[in-house]
Amino acid sequence: MDMKRDYYEDIRLFNSGVVLFWTVALMLVLFTLPLYAPNYYVYLLNIIMVHIILAVGLNILVGSTGQISLGHAGFFAIGAYGTALLMAKLQIPFVVALLAAAFIAAFFGFILGLPALRLEGPYLAIASLGFGLTITHIIGGVDLFGGRMGVKVPPLDLGISQLGVSWVLKTDFQKYYLILIITILMVVGARNILKTRVGRSFVAIRDSDIAAEVIGVNLTIYKTLAFAVSAFYAGIAGGLFGFILGFFDPFTFNMILSIIFLVMVVVGGLGTVSGGIMGACLITYLQYDLLKNIGEVPYFGAFMVTISQLWFTTVGLENFSSMAIGLIMIGIIIFEPLGMFGIWIRMKKYWMTWPF
Amino acid sequence: MMFRKKMLVSLFAALAVLTVANITQAAQPAGFDDNEIRIGQWGPQTGPAAPWGSVARGSKLLFDIVNEEGGIHGRKIKYFIRDDMYNPAQTVAVVKELVERQGIFAFVGGVGSAPGMAVKDYLAANKIIWVSPSAADKEFTQPLNPYLFAVYPLYKDEASILAKYIVEKLKTKKIGILYQNDAYGKDGLEGAKERLATYKMSLVAEIPVEPTEKDFASQILRLKNSGAEAVLMYVSPTAAVITLKTAASVGFKPQWVSANTLSDYPLMFKITGGLWEGVITGAFGETPDSKSPLMVKYRDAAKRLTPQERWGTFYYAGILFADPIVEALKKVGRNLSTEALLKALNSIKDYQTIGPRITWTPKQHQGTDSVMIQKCGPGASYIMLQDWTTNDLATWKK
Amino acid sequence: MPFGQLLVEGLAIGACYGLFATAVVIIYKTSEVVNFAQGEMAMFSSFVAFHILAVYQYPFWLAFVIAMLFSILLGVLIEFLFLRPAKHPSLLGMIVITLGAEMFLMGLASWKWGAEQKFFSLPLDPSVTYEPVKGMIVTNWAIAVFAVASTIMLLLYVFFKYTRLGVAMRATQQNKHAAKIMGIRTERVFSIAWGFSSLIGAVAGMFFASRATLDPAFMMEPFLRAFAAAVLGGLMSIPGVIIGGGLMGLIENFFGYYWPSWKPIVAFIVIILVLCLRPSGLFAKHYVKKV
Repeated sequence: MDMKRDYYEDIRLFNSGVVLFWTVALMLVLFTLPLYAPNYYVYLLNIIMVHIILAVGLNILVGSTGQISLGHAGFFAIGAYGTALLMAKLQIPFVVALLAAAFIAAFFGFILGLPALRLEGPYLAIASLGFGLTITHIIGGVDLFGGRMGVKVPPLDLGISQLGVSWVLKTDFQKYYLILIITILMVVGARNILKTRVGRSFVAIRDSDIAAEVIGVNLTIYKTLAFAVSAFYAGIAGGLFGFILGFFDPFTFNMILSIIFLVMVVVGGLGTVSGGIMGACLITYLQYDLLKNIGEVPYFGAFMVTISQLWFTTVGLENFSSMAIGLIMIGIIIFEPLGMFGIWIRMKKYWMTWPF
Repeated sequence: MMFRKKMLVSLFAALAVLTVANITQAAQPAGFDDNEIRIGQWGPQTGPAAPWGSVARGSKLLFDIVNEEGGIHGRKIKYFIRDDMYNPAQTVAVVKELVERQGIFAFVGGVGSAPGMAVKDYLAANKIIWVSPSAADKEFTQPLNPYLFAVYPLYKDEASILAKYIVEKLKTKKIGILYQNDAYGKDGLEGAKERLATYKMSLVAEIPVEPTEKDFASQILRLKNSGAEAVLMYVSPTAAVITLKTAASVGFKPQWVSANTLSDYPLMFKITGGLWEGVITGAFGETPDSKSPLMVKYRDAAKRLTPQERWGTFYYAGILFADPIVEALKKVGRNLSTEALLKALNSIKDYQTIGPRITWTPKQHQGTDSVMIQKCGPGASYIMLQDWTTNDLATWKK
Repeated sequence: MPFGQLLVEGLAIGACYGLFATAVVIIYKTSEVVNFAQGEMAMFSSFVAFHILAVYQYPFWLAFVIAMLFSILLGVLIEFLFLRPAKHPSLLGMIVITLGAEMFLMGLASWKWGAEQKFFSLPLDPSVTYEPVKGMIVTNWAIAVFAVASTIMLLLYVFFKYTRLGVAMRATQQNKHAAKIMGIRTERVFSIAWGFSSLIGAVAGMFFASRATLDPAFMMEPFLRAFAAAVLGGLMSIPGVIIGGGLMGLIENFFGYYWPSWKPIVAFIVIILVLCLRPSGLFAKHYVKKV
């Protein structure tokens, strides 16, 4: 069943009719989701998809190449600022601006990849963290980028203003489809990267960089390439994120965000595309929706308020969600080191071999 | 091959659904009905900015008082607080959730400049009234946003008034400024510079600090070396504490002057270990121990309804921010609509509760530019130095 | 330029960073875990001290002792409850566990004590200052930091070099399995390391709290700087950490004097540059990976 005879089978998107069927079904659900999801969830879905793009890209770096980055909020910021400013100041069409900003991010990724050639583990972590802080600090310090006051994003115009063509996406609804299409493209792209020669080189570097070098993988090229690809994904994600928000300032891209991105990847599952997707969905949903307004939940809310009055402060009750997210993160790693992807594999195995 | 086919399919599907999507967008729930008016507010309840979260809880006290008195023309106020962690992405999420799921008639307060900027256009596009953002950003009211009404005096105006006081009353020639490197601090810097320019003076030191920094030794030494005799502080409470403690340890004792964001003397006195005594601040609300009848009423209600809350400046600022909308709702009467409320808000003139006098006209939604100037006395007592003062240099009034 | 004063201030805050970085290093030295919950553990212990002082009104030394005992317990508990049960965790998995612990502690502290800033002070009279050389004012706080930091560092140096437990901890770090075969109860060693580290972190946390305010987020920034200082010093060597912290404080203060708006990142840029030249920090022996 899992026997593969050549690499082309690896690259094929649908290796069986079942996969094809489920993919089509998933696409149908995704494309019609806003029709039956409550309105305000569309915004949340947009954020989730942006995080998916970023997590998938970060996973190429962290999961597949084995490098660590605590500076991805910096690339995210470059994407957001790049796209918004190129469109607002130079009237560049959306698609070109988005790609240009993503390539700028990729260039910075390449730069960060250079010290990564010699660093590993915590040393790389602190270097990338310093990089992320520096980027947001420069943005905050230079008036061209709006300084600390932030930047207002121009309308999302898919047309080309120079030709007089204009197609402005205003609602979350319309943006949903744009972002969905880009997300699918990026996810399929990531899958293809990982299944081809480049991806195999990344994995070889992760498993043992010395052995990889011995069998002819050029470390300089592939390590910096991993950083550049990952930064490119973050740039695209950032560009879209800006349009979802409509306004942002450097504080939006703080270090906590970098850490959250890393958490998404690890909780979802290192080294797999679906792991990145699952992690981004779970963590974003936890942060934005679940366990918020705990005091308004029937019964449980009243119970929590009573507990707060007895032993804690009622003003701090909202922090319950942060505690719960922390425990969920710990729980997933303790019980399933492969993250949610591991849980998924186990479920699949269980059903495939049932009743044995 | 498969890949291309798949792309084509998804593109077609996307186009098809896009056309459908434009038709089927559901209407939002209304913001009020016969029994209740739904009002919302966002504010950081968790995360590093959480101390400002008490603004949102303060507004709740006022609405509880109003509901206790029987509501407004037969309608009770249903009030929602949402935690946004001072993160614009979260602010947009919670505001959309409130507007599109709960149905909100108006927002009050809302801490922070960036969170407010992120939702400003969305609220205006949905014709939702927003009264008294809890941040002084001139972009809220200039150019005029028909649905947004501001109470908070602009930091620039306040800095200008404070600078005037320093020059004319304290007779100080050497003025320095320590400002937070963001909209708040830079507005303060601008206001002070503008005022000093009228005296042909300039600041002897302009020292920025980053919002998250925790060690100010080099900045304080810079100020000390500049010979500043009075220093304007446009920083957060934590930063102010670090500033005063560091200054004390290097033997730098200027006259500290700061914005109304630091006018909570009991808190500041306590967390600086008494160093706050002698600091001059602006103030945009009455003192916590004020004897004015309204203040007494609110204070007693707070003791009764929310004994767990500290009666601090930010907390009752929440009341002050919510007062005008209650007043306007009362004026409108039983026939409530967004247009009627807008009209009532636009006609508010010289309205004063426990804060500055507010006037809104259809052309001007920046309600006031007045602050008081106070000084922290022994034991965190309030010493009034100057009653409500307007800024004669304010450009927005012309 | 007030050279002397900048030197004093830079060294004082640097010693504080160094002290806190030691806590990071102790855990890293034994278990190769970068503990992102370090700052919040220190925050929580400082809050316990605050609580005992403010609510029960015990004298400071008693509150201090109780908080120290609590901090040891907290470190041991976090290791026992969160890290030990993890089956074959990767380096990143460990980091995520510590991040989870960080969020948990921060949430719990904000729930218990609220977000508003609290006053925390060491029993050092801030008005007493010394001026040994003209233009160099030294406060009690700075003297206490120097004294405590150097005592702890000295004790740790001796501990790791000469005591059986210290050698066992180093052995565990170098090769966990070999250490086990040699009869070292590595799990107990981890517990002890976490307890130790939490204790030192709590001491440093109280110094930071008395310089600024006490609130649930107050250790985030110092933690980053201490972590950076630890990396600068090589993450493995105790003297390296001291020098790393000192350098950090001095660079920030001298540079920040002239360009205050770039102060927060200058140290990080220096660290990136140093790491480009010496990938394992200034004072670690460069560790060549065996194939």
